[in-house]
Amino acid sequence: MVSLLRNQKVRNALLQVLYVGSLAALVLAGIVIARRNLAEQGITSGFDFLYKSTGWDVNFSLLPATANDPYWWFFLIGIINTLFLGSVGLVLATLVGTIVGLARTSSNELAQLLGRTYVDIFRNIPLILQVFFWYAIITHLPTPRAAHEALGMFLTSRGLYVPFPNVGGIAFAAAILAVIAAIALPIWIGRTSRLSQPFGERLGIQLAAAATALTTAAVILALGRLPDLPLLDFPALQGLNLKGGLRIPPEFSALAIAIAIYGGSYIAEIVRGGFKAVGKGQMEAALSLGLSPWRVFTLVRLPLALRAMLPILANQYVWLMKATTMGIAVGFTDFFMIVALTINHSGQTLEAIGILMAGFLAINLSLAAVFNRINKAIALKGNQLRG
Amino acid sequence: MTANSTKPHRPAVRLENLDKYYGTFHALRKVNLSVERGERIVVCGPSGSGKSTMIRCINRLEQHNGGKITVLGTELNDDVANIEGIRREVGMVFQHFNLFPHMTVMENCMIAPMIVRKRPRAEAEATARQYLQKVRIPEQAMKFPGQLSGGQQQRVAIARALCMRPQVMLFDEPTSALDPEMISEVLDVMVTLASEGMTMICVTHEMGFARRVADRVIFMDGGEIVEEAPPEEFFTASRNERTRQFLSQVLGH
Amino acid sequence: MEMVVVAPPAPGRLENLKRRFFATPLQALLSLISLAIMAFIVWKLLDWAVFSAVFTTSGGPEACQAAAGACWSVIAARWRIILFGLYPFEEQWRSALACVAVVVMTALSCIPAFWTGRRIALVWGAGTTLYYLLMKGGVLGLLYVGEEAWGGLALTLFIFITTCLIGFPLAICLALLRRSELPWISRTTGIVIDGVRSLPLISILFTFAIVLPFALPQWLVGDKLYRVIFGSALFFSAYQAEIVRGGMQGVPAGQEEAAMALGMSYWQRIGRILLPQAMRNALPATINQFVISFKETSLVVIVGFFEILASGNAAYGTGEWRFAYVEVYAFIAFIYFVFVFSLSRYGAFLERRMAVGER
Ligand SMILES: Nc1ncnc2c1ncn2[C@@H]1O[C@H](COP(=O)(O)OP(=O)(O)OP(=O)(O)O)[C@@H](O)[C@H]1O
Ligand SMILES: [Mg+2]
Repeated sequence: MVSLLRNQKVRNALLQVLYVGSLAALVLAGIVIARRNLAEQGITSGFDFLYKSTGWDVNFSLLPATANDPYWWFFLIGIINTLFLGSVGLVLATLVGTIVGLARTSSNELAQLLGRTYVDIFRNIPLILQVFFWYAIITHLPTPRAAHEALGMFLTSRGLYVPFPNVGGIAFAAAILAVIAAIALPIWIGRTSRLSQPFGERLGIQLAAAATALTTAAVILALGRLPDLPLLDFPALQGLNLKGGLRIPPEFSALAIAIAIYGGSYIAEIVRGGFKAVGKGQMEAALSLGLSPWRVFTLVRLPLALRAMLPILANQYVWLMKATTMGIAVGFTDFFMIVALTINHSGQTLEAIGILMAGFLAINLSLAAVFNRINKAIALKGNQLRG
Repeated sequence: MTANSTKPHRPAVRLENLDKYYGTFHALRKVNLSVERGERIVVCGPSGSGKSTMIRCINRLEQHNGGKITVLGTELNDDVANIEGIRREVGMVFQHFNLFPHMTVMENCMIAPMIVRKRPRAEAEATARQYLQKVRIPEQAMKFPGQLSGGQQQRVAIARALCMRPQVMLFDEPTSALDPEMISEVLDVMVTLASEGMTMICVTHEMGFARRVADRVIFMDGGEIVEEAPPEEFFTASRNERTRQFLSQVLGH
Repeated sequence: MEMVVVAPPAPGRLENLKRRFFATPLQALLSLISLAIMAFIVWKLLDWAVFSAVFTTSGGPEACQAAAGACWSVIAARWRIILFGLYPFEEQWRSALACVAVVVMTALSCIPAFWTGRRIALVWGAGTTLYYLLMKGGVLGLLYVGEEAWGGLALTLFIFITTCLIGFPLAICLALLRRSELPWISRTTGIVIDGVRSLPLISILFTFAIVLPFALPQWLVGDKLYRVIFGSALFFSAYQAEIVRGGMQGVPAGQEEAAMALGMSYWQRIGRILLPQAMRNALPATINQFVISFKETSLVVIVGFFEILASGNAAYGTGEWRFAYVEVYAFIAFIYFVFVFSLSRYGAFLERRMAVGER
């Protein structure tokens, strides 16, 4: 027996069985105990509750929602809210980060100082504090009656009111897709056609693509507009409140601003790192070929820096998506807050936690998949390069 | 070490029909070798022929897949106590020194006697000084490995192995990572060690060293021991075609 | 012979300035824009925070609200609740002393002389014990104060140090299991680590605070504070484990082989050879992780703890200081900034120093 225990193979097998077994036992025991405790409170486990109506409402939704809708619909709304806030935050943070990062890499010392101060300040203050701060600022804005107005927009303590087209939901979504295509297509064409193609020809194709997409958007909007209403719906004061237009609630704005500013400070560092990773030799080579500084930047420095940034940027985007869970601090109904509310109201604890994990796993994995594709597509071919 | 000390004949290291696979690659094919106590063996052969693999099996840095390894009378098998016992009695010197960079030379030499052999600090220190003296660098004791030259590092590595007072020493190309002018200072130490009767198995391409100290030279190729002979015979009257080809390459340049 | 030394004419100060900031029209434009932005922000900020600000409590909230600038009187009136929460008023010196103990402990761990496993464990053990005794009392004639009364900065620091204290050893265990040669152990650990890393911290804190009591036997449920600390430590360790593993991958395989050849056992190899070198490799990333973790302790406000953010909300949220939220948040932001900025500067310094040391 003792000699058996001293045997390396026996030991290894035993250790593995013990480790995996005890972990599995721990999880199982937790589930069994939880089911018993929940059953005592009259909660039957299972996913049937997904089809019951919730009895409570959400304060922000891109899809129609009422208290009569079932739980699964609310989970969907939550995921879409998370993705929506995440993408808005992601775009804004990238914008901020690019500007600050470029300032930090510029040859101008004053611009460098400005960028550095920005990063040093906003990176070192917790995101949630920044969310609280912006939320307090927005909710302390004047009431609708005393609101600031500019270009038909109202900035009030109840949120930002902007003009919105009187267009059916689906048509509006389609028009947005067309506008995105108008931006994406020329970039894609620029990427796929090589330099060796004549420049004028490429520009023509790009312009044509953008114009087509934009026209499509306009046509969709014109066809989808609601009859008997003006094309644009302007918010206007009625009694104590503003009516019409689109209201962007303070919860959403506070989160989006905070994520843009905080995330921007991280992305700025990534941008700077990417530019730093481009070898001096490459740039000197390009300059010595007689390329103008601008073309050196767009043809050599930027493409190489982008390749260096992308993997780190991918991690940062995943982090940004997870940061939307701060929504619960100010009452924005993101995916996590829906899960928390579900647990509160229905008591379906285990199922809700399971859905939460599955949801975030799915978000993480799909983001990772997208970035892997991009990474592979733009990776430098071959492995024979030096320095 | 164990019961069969009644047997009159007990070689220090004995490999019988040793087989080793890396995945599907057959790295050692039925290798047989017996090394007597006090014997000095030099192993040579072309790159990838399995020299390192063979001596790394002796102290189980690699696990063999077939055959039998007996070291100092103890069979090397899955028994953990046997493995640790054998490693205590077998010292090894590596091509790339593998000194512990976060410890001083002195600490490198003291750590194993103290924590493996459980020797008191004072004794471990005295042993370390003695062996550093022997490899001729007592004055470097308080330096860190990163502050020494390659040759000095390799001599420290030898001293570190000797501090465990091993009965068998394994050398895996101890000089091939060194600049030419440092090779001789390491070889000198090894020659001294040989003259004191240490059991040694050296993988090396230093043919001068082989001629001077080896009792037997072993030539390996393709995972097999192709030839085994005393040095005079090996260098002058080799029967094997592959050996002669190898020798002409090593000695020719 | 007469030596003729021709020195180039020393550039005047104006010349120098011109070369640095106005070399080309584009540079000049950039400089001017940056300068304008800076001047605007600095002026606005100074005016708000200093020139037009009210510093004394004498006028009361009303006078303060009327002022054009910042109302720092709210800090003067409410700093105790921000720093110490609802800790009994006469005992707050203990809270302050406990915070000092944590700061000293952190400062000591930044000194290389303390970077051995035993010494660092000693410093942290002593610091945490001291903190705990001071805060909790009940011994040495100190009044007993339960955890539910802890709050403010003191609670934030407590959550941070206990997270590290539990999370760090856990991270090393996870990293060792992750790199185990036994496939089932490394694979299972990998799933656990990746699973935790794919979840947002808030969801983990929420699970540990609110959901876990259902899944634990009664005797194991314990205090909510310690459950949340454990959740936060688990999250920390999942990230730190990958950092430690990265550090281990930086240690050449020959190191372990040499240790094996000397007859060292698994734990001797790990403790004496592998970990000391791996931790050194992982040091900059580790400090970065500490920085992130310190910022993230602020999230416990969501599961209902009275740490510095919640006490800040309370400091302006009730009664007459309602208008002074910007000042309160600025104060808390400043406290976080001091801790986080100095720690991350230290990390950057170490990274530079190590990069030089390698050459
Ligand atoms: N860990 C490993 N995994 C797979 N194959 C290996 C491994 N180690 C060695 N081999 C293969 O086993 C064969 C023998 O290797 P070994 O290192 O023993 O050769 P060697 O005689 O020491 O050569 P050299 O003179 O170059 O050191 C080689 O073909 C090598 O590619
Ligand atoms: Mg070899």
